[in-house]
Amino acid sequence: MSTEFFPVALTLRVATLALVLTTPIGLALAWVQARRRYRGRSLVDGLILLPLVLPPSVVGFFLVVLLGRRGLIGGWLDAALGVRLVFTPTAAVIASALVALPLLVKTVQPAFEAVPVELEHVGRTLGLSPLHVFLRVTAPLAWRGILAGLVLAYARAAGEFGATLMFAGNIPGLTNTMPLEIFAAYQAGDDPRAFLYVAVLTVFSVVVVVAAARLGPRVELR
Amino acid sequence: MTLAAEFHLDVGGFSLDAQLTLEDGVLVLFGPSGAGKSLTVAALAGLVRPRSGSIRLGDRLLFDAAAGIDVATHLRRVGYVPQHHSLFPFLSVRDNVAFGLPRARRRTDPGVDRLIGELGLTDLADARPASLSGGERQRVALARALAVEPSLLLLDEPFASIDQAGRRALRAVLADALRAHGIPAVLVTHDADEAVELGTRAVIYERGRTVRSGAPRDVIGGRRYTLRGTLRPDGTLEGARLEGDLDGLPEDVELTFC
Repeated sequence: MSTEFFPVALTLRVATLALVLTTPIGLALAWVQARRRYRGRSLVDGLILLPLVLPPSVVGFFLVVLLGRRGLIGGWLDAALGVRLVFTPTAAVIASALVALPLLVKTVQPAFEAVPVELEHVGRTLGLSPLHVFLRVTAPLAWRGILAGLVLAYARAAGEFGATLMFAGNIPGLTNTMPLEIFAAYQAGDDPRAFLYVAVLTVFSVVVVVAAARLGPRVELR
Repeated sequence: MTLAAEFHLDVGGFSLDAQLTLEDGVLVLFGPSGAGKSLTVAALAGLVRPRSGSIRLGDRLLFDAAAGIDVATHLRRVGYVPQHHSLFPFLSVRDNVAFGLPRARRRTDPGVDRLIGELGLTDLADARPASLSGGERQRVALARALAVEPSLLLLDEPFASIDQAGRRALRAVLADALRAHGIPAVLVTHDADEAVELGTRAVIYERGRTVRSGAPRDVIGGRRYTLRGTLRPDGTLEGARLEGDLDGLPEDVELTFC
């Protein structure tokens, strides 16, 4: 693969895998926050927002502390399974998934909240398990919000820079996603190369924002 | 005994003590808004969990706090018709009615069209809920609940969002359907006429407690009086006598009849 195209392909791959990783967690969190009233709910609300509010370098630092080779979980992974995450494409996926999560949850949650709870109750009394209620009642009513959340999360994952740099590094041919490549090219004075990826990411983001706006987190009720 | 429930529950600062029994027919939950009627329905459906007590339906124990039994909502086989937002807006009338059937039977079950016909919805079978009147929607919701042949129907103010004429029509439809299917029902209402017309038994709610129960005519509307006498052409009532519990009535009594 040409060195120009590698960062594009890597970015799309990392963002796609990050979305695969973050979607089940994000949808579950959005549903719980929309439907359950429990002690500590607002604390969880705040924690979900944290990756959005914290500087990405701080998020990256926490990831290294937790999942790094001497990290709390990373140390165990290394010792028990021989798995090393730092400075791998997997690390880029994890970093991207984490920063994309708040955007997903906060876009989908209002869509879930707008689904009349009576309809979910009716579904359950008609013999549907909670999973089937989600698939046959909640999702058909909230699909616009879910899709908008997925699109925004994908874009955020594709644009991830700070946490990825800290946790996955910028290793040419391994972890140099487009945002990292822009920074590296610019620092090296290779403006045309930086501009190439700037253009790709800009077009990509504009398309995403327009798509998300058209989808909108509204619920079709009538 | 079809339904025997006795439970206590606390939800967000509101506490409810309910005691219900139903042999057969329709049990009316009667009382002002906020007295705990809808919460009772939610508990019977398994949507909220009582702190203590038990709920028995026929020979099945649905809930027993002491024994740690709490049958999940989707396994309770209770039909539920809510006050608002009763239909799935993205499905036709027919698909709404067939919603609770197994996938293989949804398109083919003759019971679906039979119910649609029985509730006078044949012409609307392909319509979307948005184009239906309030009364039509509740008929669809009733058909959908009946389609899965539940052991108990829960009707949470099904007439609340319907105009007067529609209410009378729906009341007759509901009474017929309940009779035809022989499914016992719990009906929440704060309309005395509705309670008396549809109920075989009524439970009165006051501020989170069931305070008395019995035949709807006896327990709803508080005290009943009878005025006896001979009516003269000039309007006087000769030998007039008011019978009933006179305790606490004022000396100057004015009675209005319709």
